[in-house]
Amino acid sequence: MPRDRFLKQSLGSLYSHIRSSRILVVGAGGIGCELLKNLVTTGFGEIHVVDLDTIDLSNLNRQFLFRHAHIKKSKALVAKETAGRFNPNVKIEAHHANIKDPQFNVDWFKSFVIVFNALDNLDARRHVNKMCLAADVPLIESGTTGFNGQVQPIRKGLTQCYDCTPKETPKSFPVCTIRSTPSQPIHCIVWAKSYLFSELFGISEEEAPDLDHTEDSDNAAEIESLRAEAAALKTIRMAMGSEEFPCKVFKKVYTDDIDRLRGMEDMWKTRRAPDALDYDELLARAGQVDPSISLQDQKTWSVEENFAVFVDSLKRLSNRLEELKANAETGNAPPILSFDKDDKDTLDFVAAAANLRSTVFGIETRSEFDIKQMAGNIIPAIATTNATTAALCVLEAFKIMRGELQKAKMVFLTKSVDRMITKEPLSHPKPDCPVCGNAQARLVVDTSKATLSDLVEQLLKAKLEYTDEISISTDAGIVYDPDLEENLPKKLAELGISKDTFITVRDEDDDTARVNLVLAISEVELDEQTQPLTLIPATIAIPRKAKPTNGVATANGDTEPVEQAVSGAKRKRDVDDAELETDNIRKRGKVAEELNGNGPITLDDEEGAIVLD
Amino acid sequence: MAEARELTPPPLHAVPSSKEKKYDRQLRLWAASGQAALEQAHILLINSGSGVTGVETLKNLVLPGIGNFTILDSALVSEADLGVNFFLDEGCLGEFRAEHTCRFLQELNPDVKGNYIAEVRKNGSQSFIAKDKAFLPYTLIIVSAPINPACLALISDYAASNGIPVFYLHSVGYYSHFSVSLPPAFPIVDTHPDPASITDLRLLKPWPALTQFAQEKTSGLSSLSAHDLGHIPYVLLLLHYLEQWTANHNGEAPISYKDKTAFREMVRSAGPPEEENYHEAVAAVLKSLNPPTPPSSVLAVLNAPEAQKLTPTSASFWYIARAIYTFYEQHGELPLPGAVPDMKAQSSDYIRLQNIYKSKAREDYQVVLAEVRRLEKQIGRSAEMAVDEKEVEQFCKGAAHVKLVRGKPLTVARPGESVRWGSESAKNAVNALAMPDSGVLLYIAFLAWDLFTGSHDEDALGGAAKVPGEHDQELDSDEQKMLGIAQKILDDVITEAGTFVEEPQYGEMKEELGKMVKELVRAGGSELHNIAALTGGMVAQEVIKAITKQYVPIDNTCVFDVNLAVGVFMVLGGVGQFFPSIGVQGIIVGVYVILFGLATGLLEFQIPPQVARYASFMFSFIGRGVFYIFIGSIIMGDNWWKYTAGSIVALVGIGYVVLEYIPSIEPPANMRDADAGWGAEQV
Repeated sequence: MPRDRFLKQSLGSLYSHIRSSRILVVGAGGIGCELLKNLVTTGFGEIHVVDLDTIDLSNLNRQFLFRHAHIKKSKALVAKETAGRFNPNVKIEAHHANIKDPQFNVDWFKSFVIVFNALDNLDARRHVNKMCLAADVPLIESGTTGFNGQVQPIRKGLTQCYDCTPKETPKSFPVCTIRSTPSQPIHCIVWAKSYLFSELFGISEEEAPDLDHTEDSDNAAEIESLRAEAAALKTIRMAMGSEEFPCKVFKKVYTDDIDRLRGMEDMWKTRRAPDALDYDELLARAGQVDPSISLQDQKTWSVEENFAVFVDSLKRLSNRLEELKANAETGNAPPILSFDKDDKDTLDFVAAAANLRSTVFGIETRSEFDIKQMAGNIIPAIATTNATTAALCVLEAFKIMRGELQKAKMVFLTKSVDRMITKEPLSHPKPDCPVCGNAQARLVVDTSKATLSDLVEQLLKAKLEYTDEISISTDAGIVYDPDLEENLPKKLAELGISKDTFITVRDEDDDTARVNLVLAISEVELDEQTQPLTLIPATIAIPRKAKPTNGVATANGDTEPVEQAVSGAKRKRDVDDAELETDNIRKRGKVAEELNGNGPITLDDEEGAIVLD
Repeated sequence: MAEARELTPPPLHAVPSSKEKKYDRQLRLWAASGQAALEQAHILLINSGSGVTGVETLKNLVLPGIGNFTILDSALVSEADLGVNFFLDEGCLGEFRAEHTCRFLQELNPDVKGNYIAEVRKNGSQSFIAKDKAFLPYTLIIVSAPINPACLALISDYAASNGIPVFYLHSVGYYSHFSVSLPPAFPIVDTHPDPASITDLRLLKPWPALTQFAQEKTSGLSSLSAHDLGHIPYVLLLLHYLEQWTANHNGEAPISYKDKTAFREMVRSAGPPEEENYHEAVAAVLKSLNPPTPPSSVLAVLNAPEAQKLTPTSASFWYIARAIYTFYEQHGELPLPGAVPDMKAQSSDYIRLQNIYKSKAREDYQVVLAEVRRLEKQIGRSAEMAVDEKEVEQFCKGAAHVKLVRGKPLTVARPGESVRWGSESAKNAVNALAMPDSGVLLYIAFLAWDLFTGSHDEDALGGAAKVPGEHDQELDSDEQKMLGIAQKILDDVITEAGTFVEEPQYGEMKEELGKMVKELVRAGGSELHNIAALTGGMVAQEVIKAITKQYVPIDNTCVFDVNLAVGVFMVLGGVGQFFPSIGVQGIIVGVYVILFGLATGLLEFQIPPQVARYASFMFSFIGRGVFYIFIGSIIMGDNWWKYTAGSIVALVGIGYVVLEYIPSIEPPANMRDADAGWGAEQV
């Protein structure tokens, strides 16, 4: 009996379709591993898997394609190797890369019959959602948290897309709460992780995503002193490697800065004033404490124990950074360390530093185990939920491949004892969705010849009947609006509009406001005679915006995640992007380091679900 | 990858807790105690048929670090196995499947010890299962169909008398099923209730330390500065105003909804409108002003016969239950859990408040512990078996949420006998059958499948049974035979329930049953990998609950039909819960009506957190009203009683809608208690 007899029989005509299908799995983590097993065993013809991450010890309790010996190797490559052995008839292509890389363009997405999302972060999910809409390819979106799982089939124009329902973004805290007036353990943890650690070992705190700067202007004077404080800390950083380094850092942040804060009497009228710690006194008291107390991560450490761990981890981290510097090639950016919840040195430091600060402010201290969860945004993850969720993804994919989208459902897996699996019908797209509510088209253009003015006059105004009241933005920000005309003579390429990027045209005419138009750029080289701008399809209907129901004016009321003006001047990065970029650098950095065969390596793992806490 | 593999393995983090690190993500769900329980477990998988679901289940248990597993499977690896089983490869062909699946599974986690048993038996030789003490090493048994009914009965009896959980599963084509048989008394202390539901502030029964603190902070309330007033913890505010209230109400606390809302109004008007702590106080009134009486279901567990009749060898659970029951009888309340929610307050006040609750919790625990020790002495429990203090502490914290599952033995379908459901289960099953797609039919189809294989056993014990549809040329005759069996089971259960089903419903049931039988026969005992993976995920999760004794396991049967969409559940006494689905629209509607009915009924008593999330409309008059009208109009139709029932429901709905427009009426507590936030679960 051939190995696929029953598959053929059960799936019927779908089976031959499956055999010849090219599919994409984005993410080779918890759900990704299970998906690959199910897809390979079901006999899909060609499976592409993309993941930029490397394997960590804490993955092994569920990501079953990986073994101990694979730690620090590419998830995508190892997954291909392990899963590929099972079925020689299936072709697996692995990409150790970021799905946001330009090589994965709309045409590439178009080459798949279906795309499975098995991701762990909001940003990448949004990106794949956008690409699948642009390429008009069905997407099966999924995620798990602990015992809960969720599967959502997405089809352009027929169902809601990932962004039709607003997603919560990670919580952030006002700068003053973190730096001057903490009142909860989490404030001290964020301070230790996003301020102290990055000032000492990483990049500046200004980029940290969990700091909220919206109230800065109300506290201008305090913000100014905080800047000075941070600058002073930078000078202390110079002393790294010396014997006095821990003492200097400690005295700076737990004595001098606290004394300064305490001096601001207005601040403490309504709060308990902080009590500075004394280095020499603690040193004497902590003399007998063995820093290996840090192995007892479920115990709440005493002040002395926190002190000992603080000093010890500070030394460990300094040594690592010094070593990295010694090995770094001249000319490259200076090496940095990044906080990683699975990197014991960084976690020890953050836990001890946070607890010392809690002591200063009379806040309850926490065990390292708890701090790890809070600092690392850890989402619990287990094999059972991932296995069930991945299998549900494939069942939904079967329905879509049979052309039975009407049978596809949004599926929820819960820990309820009543109904482990619940489903609900897919909803229609939301007309006001900031992503799929847009009109979409492809613009074929020679970006080195066409100017922004050509785009506005020849295409938008002449053909698509836009008025003057429009704005045009790229991923980086606004390049044109009625008050921003200096870019008009510039070539599109000069504005960062190139192959495989997107531009968004917003109709801001109150009377005729139509939904946003998103243009995917395709590049051609053209001679002088040819029309420099071609729209595909040549005509496109751009529906009117749904009227706002609450009567509140929505000038610029778009809820898109990224929106900052650029006028050729300095461009501020969105905090999410900033975090993601450093993340990517770090993740890729790991592999590069591995090839060099030396140097401490930071690991990162965010499995399961997006981080919302 | 070839080069990559030749690199020296990366240096491991030289941290002794590398095991904790590997299991970090799951420790956050079941903690070290759950992990220890997993590591002590030894699971026996009795595998047969195509055997994929059993192996997939084990995979999901090996990864989180089960202590030991043993696979009992005498099949040889065939070409067909390679197509569905991920844990076999070409090199295994013709060899024992048990050996190779065991080897591949073991590779997943070096901390796990895997064993296998494969038997080559001549006719008449005694099988492993029949051997004396064969099951002694195992703490949990998973049986994958087909299995000889006599063997299944043997296992079920053994497990019931030794308190071992047994899982029995089918995975055939697009359908799967599993039943769980838990021990007759299966207590769960750590049920992991929703964090929002476990706050217990005892505002109506404060103790001296708390009262004193409240008085200290709230005396001279009117002379406090705005800042100080805004930083009194809301718990103390409520205590203060409660004292005022009771002084004016003959010592009666506000317990009725009417009094509570009046009290809430009093708090609201007493405080400066902008202060957050007053907002917190107002918001907490309906939720927190509850008499400290535990739910009767919990009292029933604490006072179960096992707790009343302690023996020197009773499980420690019963000693603690008895001690806590005594505590309840003496104090009229359960031990205080001691947790305090976050609130607006000055750090020092908040910490003091926390300490007051913690010390009281500690005192209560000491009382319970002393009673446990007294009981041990009185009953004569040996010192080695002394109840662990930690267990007492944990029980005290979760006393209001303990759960006792009374496990039932597996239903074994034996050839030549009618399937016995027990009259109550039979009634439940037949009632559920009125909803044609209830899942009961699929369960009946699986019982018929068992009877068919049971009567086509090729040797007496354990040898490969013939499953329906195994040989292509016999498809039709197998289907006829199995359909006959299935219809008899259906008729028998209706008879056992002491009722009958009218046409056309009866005809529709038979037709539906026929489709399922046909589908099961067509599969010929084959599994689809994807269904096996799905079922393996669900079974493994229930196994973990049974082993860790954390979270509430399902009780006790689950079916999955790929065509289906909703999970529906029923308790059928001996049978249990089902996950059926949607096919025909009428069926869906029926199922929803039942579900909504149950859910709505439940809402009158307690509000599961999911309701607020998925059905927030239930928390307003108009929302609930429109919903009732909708349900009522669905129920109407066909005959007089449906019209009556439908009209009543719809009328209630209209009533609710009317209430929405009467401004003076506020919705009752069970419409408002819902926790508004819906957390970090968006995935």
